[in-house]
Amino acid sequence: MRIVVAEDLYLLRDGMVRLIEAYGHEVVGTATTGPETLAALREFRPDVAVVDVRMPPTQTDEGLRAALAARAGVPGLPVLILSQYVEQLYARELLADGSGGVGYFLKESVFDADQFIDALERVAAGGTAMDPAVIAKLLSSGSSHRRLGGLTEREHSVLALMAQGLSNQAIAGRLFLSDSAISKYTTSLFGKLGITDDGTNNRRVLAVLAYLNNP
Amino acid sequence: MRVLVSWPARVGVGFVRACAVAAVTLLVPGVWAGAVALGVWWGPGNPWSWVAPVLLVAVGSLLTARPVCRAVRFLAARWTGTVIASGYREAPPVTRMATGYWWNGFDYHRTRRDALLDQRWRLRWKDPANWRDLRFTAIVPFTAGLVACVPPAGVVLAAAGLGTGTAGRVAGLVVAVASAPYAWRPLTPVAVRFLRPSARMALADRVDQLTGRRADATVAQAAEIRRIERDLHDGAQARLVALGLSLATVEKLMETDPDRARALMREARAGATASLAELRDLVRGINPPVLNDRGLVDAVRALALDSPLETEVSADVSERPPAPVESAVYFGVAELLTNAVKHARATRLRISLVRDATGLVVEAEDDGRGGAVVRDGGGLAGLRGRLAVFDGTLDLTSPPGGPTRARIMVPCESL
Repeated sequence: MRIVVAEDLYLLRDGMVRLIEAYGHEVVGTATTGPETLAALREFRPDVAVVDVRMPPTQTDEGLRAALAARAGVPGLPVLILSQYVEQLYARELLADGSGGVGYFLKESVFDADQFIDALERVAAGGTAMDPAVIAKLLSSGSSHRRLGGLTEREHSVLALMAQGLSNQAIAGRLFLSDSAISKYTTSLFGKLGITDDGTNNRRVLAVLAYLNNP
Repeated sequence: MRVLVSWPARVGVGFVRACAVAAVTLLVPGVWAGAVALGVWWGPGNPWSWVAPVLLVAVGSLLTARPVCRAVRFLAARWTGTVIASGYREAPPVTRMATGYWWNGFDYHRTRRDALLDQRWRLRWKDPANWRDLRFTAIVPFTAGLVACVPPAGVVLAAAGLGTGTAGRVAGLVVAVASAPYAWRPLTPVAVRFLRPSARMALADRVDQLTGRRADATVAQAAEIRRIERDLHDGAQARLVALGLSLATVEKLMETDPDRARALMREARAGATASLAELRDLVRGINPPVLNDRGLVDAVRALALDSPLETEVSADVSERPPAPVESAVYFGVAELLTNAVKHARATRLRISLVRDATGLVVEAEDDGRGGAVVRDGGGLAGLRGRLAVFDGTLDLTSPPGGPTRARIMVPCESL
């Protein structure tokens, strides 16, 4: 894959580039500020971009805003946001346009390199990849607790993995179950929650997140 | 010889000043005299003739009282350096509330314009200082004003004679010349006695000052917290992430390229050491362990040991000041040390700490270039704000060419 890395701290940028290259992908460009990020995304049109949230000049959510601006120009431009903090607000803003090809991860998720590269590939393919920490927060919030009371423990873990953006096959792999068992669970939990399942991964993630977000 | 030269000058300057004092202080009586004259001229045969003079006196006094007082304050400050606090109400900012109404410090209004108008009205006409100003304009003509009239009156007598003949003229001139250097002087004591803010106004001022300081302290604290968060985010946290990244890469390279993997491992180990050092520095910047364990004097000694300058510390501190004071003073000394190294290019620094019944005094003197100034938003301004929370002060004398002397003073009650 052709990848752009946007990160202001040299140590992290360098480490990220080395890791990605160790997996045989190509880093076509790097950026260290918000405006640079926007320019690089527009110029290189990478298969996927890894973008840090906090960057100069403002040291706020510069990277996130650059990514959103780039996606406003090129819908579905695949971006994986990395941050040292998990903010549901940011996750929601990323998912808002509904065109897929977004991910939001904590920086330490990169330590599990296989999973990180897997998420990159998922985002590049137009899917979604959410950090388990974001989803865990969502699932544990008070309003969702009450409404998810009717789910069995198994359905609950399937829902959490689905919200992270995994396909039925991947969920089956994680939970050591068969594909058909997973589709049975998804059907039943969608029925319980009243969400329409249209099969595409993005829509599923969006539906689940929308459901969890609505107080 | 000098006396001979300066005597005419003093007479001249004194005469001009006496005339100025007379003009300023007799402005209000002049308005009254005008009103009386109007009444006399209009009076006979008109039952309503008293209305205009009374109105003129009332409105004239009210309108001229404040400008007269401002002028007196200005003259006192200009001639004798005596600064008299005015104690007038200050305009609080007009802010929009969440309800959509505008708050002007006194009342709520529907529009910003109404709020501003009302505020201006209240500041001008509902200020307790108005009564003091009125009282002063009634007192000052019969005290300082009367005395200041002597030299001009003498000159008038000398010029016009007024039927007294030559003797009168000479006497007038002598009186004018003799009294000119002194006649304007009573203005300052009278102004100090009757024009300073009343206890209530002084209290209101103090509240304003404390409000300002509270805001400053809050801002400083927020900035400090932001700095700590930034340091952690860009420092230790980022290093740990980089460490994890290296390890993840090493894991991948183990099979394919063991030599590079080993080199990366060494880097990772160095990174771990560096992040520990960063964390240590950060902790030291928040609450230095030596200050915590041993108190201000030893903490300052430790600072001196770490400093590249030849620093000598003398201390006479019988008991430890309260912890917040200690911390503020410690970081103040650290700031002064840094400045001495960075800006003054000093080689030696003397620090003395003295704690007595009134408070804690820290003096630092370096042999650097001098020319230090307290700039807005600079380190010294921040230090001043931090000290102000405890009513502490920072005095700086730093002529170009040095030496720079800084004096930190924090009042604290003796236990």
